[in-house]
Amino acid sequence: MYRVLLAFLFFNFCYSQNYYIYVAAESDDTVSVLKFDGETIEETDRITVGIMPTENEGPHGITIDPSGKYWYLTLAHGSPYGSLVKYSTQNNEPLSKVELGLFPATMEISPKTGLIYAVNFNLHGLMRTSTVSVVDPEYMVEITKIKTGIMPHGSRISVDGKSHYSVAMMSGELFEIDALELSVNRILSLDNNSKYRNALHHSKIKPTWVSPHPNGKTLYIAGNGSNQIFVVDLESFSITDTLSTGEGPYNLAISPNGKFLLATLKSEGAVSIWSLKNNKFLKKIKNTTSVSHGVVVSPDNKYAFISLEGVGGEPGKVDVINLETLSLQGSVNVGKQAGGIAFWKIEQ
Amino acid sequence: MKSKLSHLLLVSFLFVITSAKSQEYYVKSNLENLEIEVGEVFEPSTYAVDQDGKPVSCPQIVYYNKNGALNSDDGISVSRRRGTIKGEEPGNHKVIALCLGLVDGWLGRDFDVKVSYAKAKDLSVKLDSDQVFVGSYVQPSYEITDNFGFTRYNANIKIKPSNDNIQVDALNNIKAVKSGKVTLTFSLDAVETSIDLKIVKNPIKNLVLSSNMNTARTGDVITFRTMAYDDKNQLISDLPILYSYSGESFDKSNTAAAMIRDDGKFVAETAGNYLITATAGQRSTSIPVVIYDRGIQREVINVGTGLVQERHTSDFWVFEGVDKRDYAVSGTWGADGTTYFWDVTDPAQIRKIDSIQVDARTVNDVKVSEDGRISVISREGASSRRNGIVIIDTTNPYDVNIISEYTTNLTGGVHNVFIYQDHVFALSNGERFYVINIEDPKNPYEVGMFEIGEKGQAIHDVWIEDGIAYSSNWKHGVYIIDVGNGVAGGSPSNPVVMSNYSYESGAHHATFPFKSKSTGKFYTILGDEIFPQGIDLYSTNETAGFLHFVDFSDIDNPEEVARYELPGHGSHNYWIEDDVLYVAMYSGGVRIVDISGELMGDLFRQGREIGHINTGNPNGFIPNATMTWGAQLYKGHVFYSDHNGGIGSSKVLPIKPDNSRINEYLDRPRLID
Repeated sequence: MYRVLLAFLFFNFCYSQNYYIYVAAESDDTVSVLKFDGETIEETDRITVGIMPTENEGPHGITIDPSGKYWYLTLAHGSPYGSLVKYSTQNNEPLSKVELGLFPATMEISPKTGLIYAVNFNLHGLMRTSTVSVVDPEYMVEITKIKTGIMPHGSRISVDGKSHYSVAMMSGELFEIDALELSVNRILSLDNNSKYRNALHHSKIKPTWVSPHPNGKTLYIAGNGSNQIFVVDLESFSITDTLSTGEGPYNLAISPNGKFLLATLKSEGAVSIWSLKNNKFLKKIKNTTSVSHGVVVSPDNKYAFISLEGVGGEPGKVDVINLETLSLQGSVNVGKQAGGIAFWKIEQ
Repeated sequence: MKSKLSHLLLVSFLFVITSAKSQEYYVKSNLENLEIEVGEVFEPSTYAVDQDGKPVSCPQIVYYNKNGALNSDDGISVSRRRGTIKGEEPGNHKVIALCLGLVDGWLGRDFDVKVSYAKAKDLSVKLDSDQVFVGSYVQPSYEITDNFGFTRYNANIKIKPSNDNIQVDALNNIKAVKSGKVTLTFSLDAVETSIDLKIVKNPIKNLVLSSNMNTARTGDVITFRTMAYDDKNQLISDLPILYSYSGESFDKSNTAAAMIRDDGKFVAETAGNYLITATAGQRSTSIPVVIYDRGIQREVINVGTGLVQERHTSDFWVFEGVDKRDYAVSGTWGADGTTYFWDVTDPAQIRKIDSIQVDARTVNDVKVSEDGRISVISREGASSRRNGIVIIDTTNPYDVNIISEYTTNLTGGVHNVFIYQDHVFALSNGERFYVINIEDPKNPYEVGMFEIGEKGQAIHDVWIEDGIAYSSNWKHGVYIIDVGNGVAGGSPSNPVVMSNYSYESGAHHATFPFKSKSTGKFYTILGDEIFPQGIDLYSTNETAGFLHFVDFSDIDNPEEVARYELPGHGSHNYWIEDDVLYVAMYSGGVRIVDISGELMGDLFRQGREIGHINTGNPNGFIPNATMTWGAQLYKGHVFYSDHNGGIGSSKVLPIKPDNSRINEYLDRPRLID
């Protein structure tokens, strides 16, 4: 039996792998499905999203269900609230929609609870305390809104699925939410401004992303305003190290094996890569267009996919970085202002 | 290779375990088949059972109402802090119980919960009068208070008369049939109350029905009046009169359709013979009226086009330049932030004369100051995410230049703008509008802000006329705001709300104020924007919605009186001059509509449409796909912008001689010269 299984797996490994990615284009109200075969990346489908042709609804955050059967998309703008839409990966047809808060942005599904946690970024409204929406994806109902900070972003779940992390861009805070209790567990002021917690003080750090390490012990925060990455020890819930970056670190990703940390440098149109073995900077790779946005790493740790917004009428792009050679492997045009990016599957 | 194999095997194993584990448990709760009353608080008990039926407690349980967890007055509300549910409205509802943390992944179940009204504790019944005429219906009003202290105004109440002077049918209609006294007993649950009523003979001996016209056109509003007299020929006042009509269309294949209101106002949609009847109790009287076709159709021809082939077009504005020539400016949508300038002095030869590109994907709105010197364009999709407005010098439209940009408080995107007396009214993030002083266009500064202050406030457009702003706020309707007129003490820095009107669809997208020249009435025309089937950016789209005509003559008591609804096509932007409406009906093209006289009912079905033109262009961004964005009457030509084709001009031709005699005695007004 064991031999048969080994033979089956060997057979599969003899053939090339295709990687599938979803990416949202915020200024085109489209989502692209991309296929990368290890050599070239191509767009296999472009889906129009939203319901109002004459309004820009701004697809921003995108994530895939752990089963791979569904993808979820946040639409930033509504009247005025944005929404979360559930799609089938089988035919990319919308299945259900639920209204969230102002400018819902990044989100993830907890493998522990099966619930979606989406930040209400409220990017352009008055500087007010915003929330994290918790949504039951089975029924597509918003269960609750959990108050956090001003302009929360970078919604990410711990590997065990029990904690949700987000950073508040304008109040400069890290929030840890208990994913089961649905309440804030711990808060860390990155500006060391805990005296005036949650107050608007135009954080100099302007944190825009948080990425938990697969080891469950540390997490990494992008300081978009201070050009730094902060290393936070989860046990002490304190900053233990900082990494210098280029201009405007925006989104982060850590390879599933915990080896690489990647940061998009929004202001430079580049991506920087560190080895997490010793927090050593490895390389900065120039992107194929400006305004680097999102980054996601394939589950086999081989490739990183970077979404790039571009400017004005330029198309958005997705660059592929080979993590073995630390080089640009390919690029493909997508809709304007490509932002949210999610890895779907590897197919043999 | 070995490590890869191990990793894959491990992942596969974990996936199988996870899937199997999720299926091992089933959620059980005392919510099953639960029935509670409105106002009742219930504490559920929920747990999981394994495949052997053994109960297992859940680390965390979350309850919510399937209709919306955050909507506490929708059927059932949930207190997560207390772990209780509460009946809010009667009906069959679903409560979801989630068992969190027991297994990896989602584990939950929905339960049907029936909510009923609690038993009545008190029943109060009121009548308008304790005396009614034979043949009249009695209309009581109810107030029921239940055991939880909730008050309601309707219920399945049993009504029992003390004798046969009153008849009560199966639907609880109460009719007085004989003179005399009667006691009505009303009961609900164990509560009962009674009212004495006196039924008297109908005193009306004679009903006289009159009208201000006995012939009219479709769409003309006729006012009927009824006078009731007793057997001494004395006028009886304050009698409720019921109006009705019957009719026969001249066109035998059509229905004689009309509308008649309780106040005796009548308007017909189809030409034909009508009989209007006034009824009071057992008395009734009728008079005939003849309705002729409105007969106002005129030919509309396309005069010129300004093609935009490579991108979608948005809004436009036609204006007289400093040099007295005529120009237009048009925006682009979902593209590269380009704005075009046109010479339209000869509407048959529209020429693109300049363009400007800003950091944006959409320039949704464009406006020009009254003196033609300044243009303001809106930005959405700026790469810096700082959108705002751009102020342009249009003194020479052949060579336009950016004077300044203004983004403070406008970073979220500006969808629409308006210029009024050196101030720009700019929407911010679809939530509110800011007022920006541009007396010195190089140094604009904010002087005021307006928001309606409602939860979920959203704004789509603002239009200013005579110092009054008309703010279109989706579900919250139109807000009429003094921003400089002074009638309510308002100014650009101190906007003061004067009135508000909203309607059920919540799709209120644009407003145009309309002072009727023919009647003196003041209306606001409120337009919907609806895409019922969602969107396809690269094909034609279904549109819906209509224009709501709201009589604001009494600003404190606005009344919606009429609509313009084009079947199969939805409304967008519009323009009114001399009692004629020029409306962009998206896929329905530009429609030119006679809105003279009193307005009531469905204006399209009344034959008030003068003409129309499809604006699709065979060489457009989407060829031949009419998607008219806006319309503007300018120096006798109807200009328009089309989302898929650019801009254009059209002309309504003069009335053709009518040699028929069918309408010879009607005084047909001149509509457009």
